Amino acid sequence: MDTVLEATDLTKDYEDFSLRGVSLTVRRGSISGVFGPNGAGKTTLLKVLAAQAPVRSGKVRLLGQTYETSERDLKNRVGYVPQEPTFYPDKTATWHARFVAPYFARWDGAGFYSLLETFRVNPLKKVKHLSGGQKKLLSLAMALSHGAELLILDEPTAGLDVVHRRSLLDRLRALAADGSTVIVASHITDGLDEIAEDVTFLHDGRVVLHAAADDLMTRWKWVHYKDGSLDRAIEGRFATFRRQPFGNRGLTDDFPALREAVAPALASDDARVEPASLEDILLSFVKEA
Amino acid sequence: MDPILRRSSFFYVTALVTYLGLMGRFMLTRDWTAFELIPLFLPVWLISGMLASEHDERYAFLRTLPLADRAVVRTKFTLILSFVSAAWLLMTAVAAFRTGDGVATPPTLVYVTLVCATALLVGALYQIGIWRFGIPVMFPVIGVSVAAGLALAVIHVANLKYRDEWPALSQVGLVEWLGGAPWVSSAVIVALALWAYRALMRFGVRVKAASEAHL
Repeated sequence: MDTVLEATDLTKDYEDFSLRGVSLTVRRGSISGVFGPNGAGKTTLLKVLAAQAPVRSGKVRLLGQTYETSERDLKNRVGYVPQEPTFYPDKTATWHARFVAPYFARWDGAGFYSLLETFRVNPLKKVKHLSGGQKKLLSLAMALSHGAELLILDEPTAGLDVVHRRSLLDRLRALAADGSTVIVASHITDGLDEIAEDVTFLHDGRVVLHAAADDLMTRWKWVHYKDGSLDRAIEGRFATFRRQPFGNRGLTDDFPALREAVAPALASDDARVEPASLEDILLSFVKEA
Repeated sequence: MDPILRRSSFFYVTALVTYLGLMGRFMLTRDWTAFELIPLFLPVWLISGMLASEHDERYAFLRTLPLADRAVVRTKFTLILSFVSAAWLLMTAVAAFRTGDGVATPPTLVYVTLVCATALLVGALYQIGIWRFGIPVMFPVIGVSVAAGLALAVIHVANLKYRDEWPALSQVGLVEWLGGAPWVSSAVIVALALWAYRALMRFGVRVKAASEAHL
């Protein structure tokens, strides 16, 4: 496996929050989703990965290098979109492009303006007059205009309308197909679950799950069944279980192991199986915690 | 030209031009008290320029660029040093020029250097304070400092004018003594100030890299 990012045992403390021993590995050319409820530590983790915030302990190795020795080179190869992008409010996107161009080794001015056009962001409008979504798109345009091999995007779809969100997801998929690596964080799955190939769930500053999305989809299933059609012992194996008047339902984190036990009920139409969404899985972890 | 330097220098140049335009010209036309008082306003102007520049600075944006904190610190410190150096050079030149007609004396040259060295180090400390604590915390601190600096300068001016026994800072014993060899003294003061400034710059790199308050 060609690893682009390797974070080991990252620890960071704020007054009311701590990132506690987070480790993460990201494959080249993959789209990795970091999900979790508000305050789980997603933004802090991404800030640390993008060298926006110092850590108390732990190590980040990106593209075979570390920020300690190669910050400038790494930041040329990493595009970061913060949760709330910051710009000089009295300046335009054009001014910002002129400002950043000398710093990036591979700044693509034409590409930047083309992206702004696609995103329908007026390059001559002062940033303070742009909407939150447009600022996000401006930040994305910058991150995508210097040939970054790794994109670290904090809630990239937040504040975007459905058209731009869809266009962004398609673009991210295309970038990954071209060999770029994408890490996205979000507190809602909001379409990102469709494109994420690897999934990391954070809760309360810890990684509670790190797995391939396909593997999750294979293992995590909802089982709906009539009361009495399944052995009571099986109910204890559900991650989430609810007894309801018109049929029970349980969320299993290991359906292949349960398949045989459920088969008779499935055959007699007393049970049916449905795929679980990332949101369902995330919620089960949050409830468990 | 470095874009950060270009953007920030606007505020420093404006502060320098207004300082020299409003006050510096008195050194050319007034008596010795101009050399006593005008340099005292230098730290106030420097910090005002810094405040204007830092108020609009977007360090979170800069941190996303391929730019180490060390480079940002060096740029900001270069601005402070350039401001003080320009003011020092012009005031020293005018003082040297006016020694001819007896308005400025050798201790005046030392005094100007001492005030500029103090302004340089105070400016550096405030800049580091902004990185460590952020503008919202430092804004009132700097505001009070500027107001206090102005008030002290005004009190000094008033006392100098109306009280014969009030000491002129440019004529205290140490300054007079250093004025015995003004160019040597000035060179030593400049060297010491630059040495301390360099140490503060290194400290500033560590502070800025470890802090998120200014982002």
